[in-house]
Amino acid sequence: MSIIIDEHTRTIVQGITGRNASFHTKLMLGYGTKIVGGVTPGKGGEEVAGIRVYDTVKECLQKHPDATVSSVWVPPGFARDAILEAIDAGIKTVVVITERIPVHDMLYVRECAREKGVMVIGGNTPGLISPGKSLVGMLPRITFKPGRIGTVARSGAITYYLANSLNLAGFGESTSVGLGGDPILGANFEDILHLFEADPATDAVVMAGEIGGVYEELAAPFIKKMTKPVVAFIAGKAAPQGKRLGHAGAIVEGEMGTAQSKIEALSANGAIIAQTLSEIPELLRRRLA
Amino acid sequence: MRLYEFEAKRLFRRFRIPVLDAVVVDGINEEELNKITYPVVVKAQTFLGGRGKAGLIKTAETRQEVESVIKEIIGESHGPYRIEKVLIEKKIDIAKELYLSVIIDRLEHKFCVITCSRGGVDIEEIARQSPELIHKYYFNASVRFSQFSARTIANGLGLSGSMLKSGAEVVYKLFNLFIGFDCKLAEINPLVITQDKKIYALDAKVDLDEDAMFRHPELKELGIQTRHEIGELTEREKLAKAAGIPYVDLDGDIGVFPGGAGFGIAAIDLIKHYGGSAANFMDSGGAPTQEKLRKMLGLLIDNPKVKAIFGARFGGISRCDDWAKALVQYVIENRPEKPMIMRMAGNMEEEGRRVLKEAKEKHPELFKNIKVYSVTTPIEEVIKETIRVAKAGRI
Repeated sequence: MSIIIDEHTRTIVQGITGRNASFHTKLMLGYGTKIVGGVTPGKGGEEVAGIRVYDTVKECLQKHPDATVSSVWVPPGFARDAILEAIDAGIKTVVVITERIPVHDMLYVRECAREKGVMVIGGNTPGLISPGKSLVGMLPRITFKPGRIGTVARSGAITYYLANSLNLAGFGESTSVGLGGDPILGANFEDILHLFEADPATDAVVMAGEIGGVYEELAAPFIKKMTKPVVAFIAGKAAPQGKRLGHAGAIVEGEMGTAQSKIEALSANGAIIAQTLSEIPELLRRRLA
Repeated sequence: MRLYEFEAKRLFRRFRIPVLDAVVVDGINEEELNKITYPVVVKAQTFLGGRGKAGLIKTAETRQEVESVIKEIIGESHGPYRIEKVLIEKKIDIAKELYLSVIIDRLEHKFCVITCSRGGVDIEEIARQSPELIHKYYFNASVRFSQFSARTIANGLGLSGSMLKSGAEVVYKLFNLFIGFDCKLAEINPLVITQDKKIYALDAKVDLDEDAMFRHPELKELGIQTRHEIGELTEREKLAKAAGIPYVDLDGDIGVFPGGAGFGIAAIDLIKHYGGSAANFMDSGGAPTQEKLRKMLGLLIDNPKVKAIFGARFGGISRCDDWAKALVQYVIENRPEKPMIMRMAGNMEEEGRRVLKEAKEKHPELFKNIKVYSVTTPIEEVIKETIRVAKAGRI
């Protein structure tokens, strides 16, 4: 088992004809991800890596009704429309790779997704992987190994370093989910923690947050209810105030969103706090022993 | 991205929110000063609140007075910011001060209109001491804001009769401005009613969403440029911005070339954790072109404060081969002497390693201060070594 995606999941790629999307479509296919179609308006009928391109998501799903997951790679100005199109056509999980989507757009999209019971992951997510089964997004495959630790992080690179340090220590991942670096996200830590708690193939969860926003704080009360151990790491303890550190979401605004407030909320609810990424395997080992 | 008051008021004018006639000057500008009628209020343009208490808002009755106040205020500092400009407005007789704002509530994921019948003071202070004075009205992002909502909100502020109508107009226009310019915050504190029953936005605060600026070319017409969330950019930050590189100057001596933003943030923590200090934040992720990667390296090499460079590439969307090629070309063209301690892993790593190996064999002299570790060396070891090298000044 795993969460959200597995070896049976059929996926489509929106914006498949772009440079990054077409490159990563090949890598996903190489990993074994079942991509059944791509969508780029105006390029219907073309092919990318042997995958048929359609003009609309609706048309693509008519041909491939078993597709449930879409990854979105379009430029930020088109992201809102692409996500809404996926939701409207009946996609169940939308993985939004696009970064720096306007905040107002994401609020709107989030509202529509929640109404229809669709999970939107991102924006600015590296995607997610259930090692050995399926990869949706652009995570580097070599970093991940099948195992029993669930990971959820806001940043792509931290997702990779985390898996890397878990694997060097002999652990592997059931599923690794990147939530994304944008300020307004579809799925949040709490949504993913619920899924890991219910997943029989996951023994423990590592969550990696960063400064900005309140998603880490919001997840804290659920951690208290979980039966599985949660190790938490927060990046940005040395961050300056009022400056955006690359991720649109990573900014400290006054008291809100500081590394300290997140660490306090998580720790008070029973999460094990890791000071560095490399000490995480040892913390897990002690807790799972 | 926060605007100055005078910039925010330009947006207000565009949406016909009543503001006072004003001039903005950065010194004794004869032509502009000739336009004003006394008495006036001179207001320092800065990003922080509490200007009154800091002595940065002053009245003037005559030309002589206004000139001396301008000279006094410009060049002063307010927190970390130096005051470059003042806004000069006519002094008015105030009968009542109110508070009105539209924000994004990141807990509720909704737009929120906040009002308070006591304006002109720190709203967070009121929220702590008299929370009953504050009203909040939530709106879904999908909802079209109605006139009746504006009237309800104005009514909640205690306005009635003709003042209700003019108050509701301001609420309605402010909400539309908030939507129309993709704001994260639009605030009027205070919204004033004068003795002769006129309503004005006496102050104006607007935070724009930098990620939505691409669809607001009209901001450029209004003279509004990109900057930090709060504050101006340094010269190097401006260079980076022009090249499309997310970059922030910090105080230390280790240049950080980290890959993605999240790891960049964590790298700064790790450097501090092991006793070093980062010279910058940078986001070198998101599949940059080789040309852009070379510019990123240049920013660090050209910074005289940087003693050593820590680099990491965990190739996801950003491929190792692109990274390695950019590094090699930069080194061959610029022959940098600063030590670089790096780590490379991820997508297209093999090809990246081949590129590096070939270049090193060809130009051993140029690469003697450059180390590139692989996935088997923990990132912490790479950081510790960079700190050692920065302190020693050599590998």
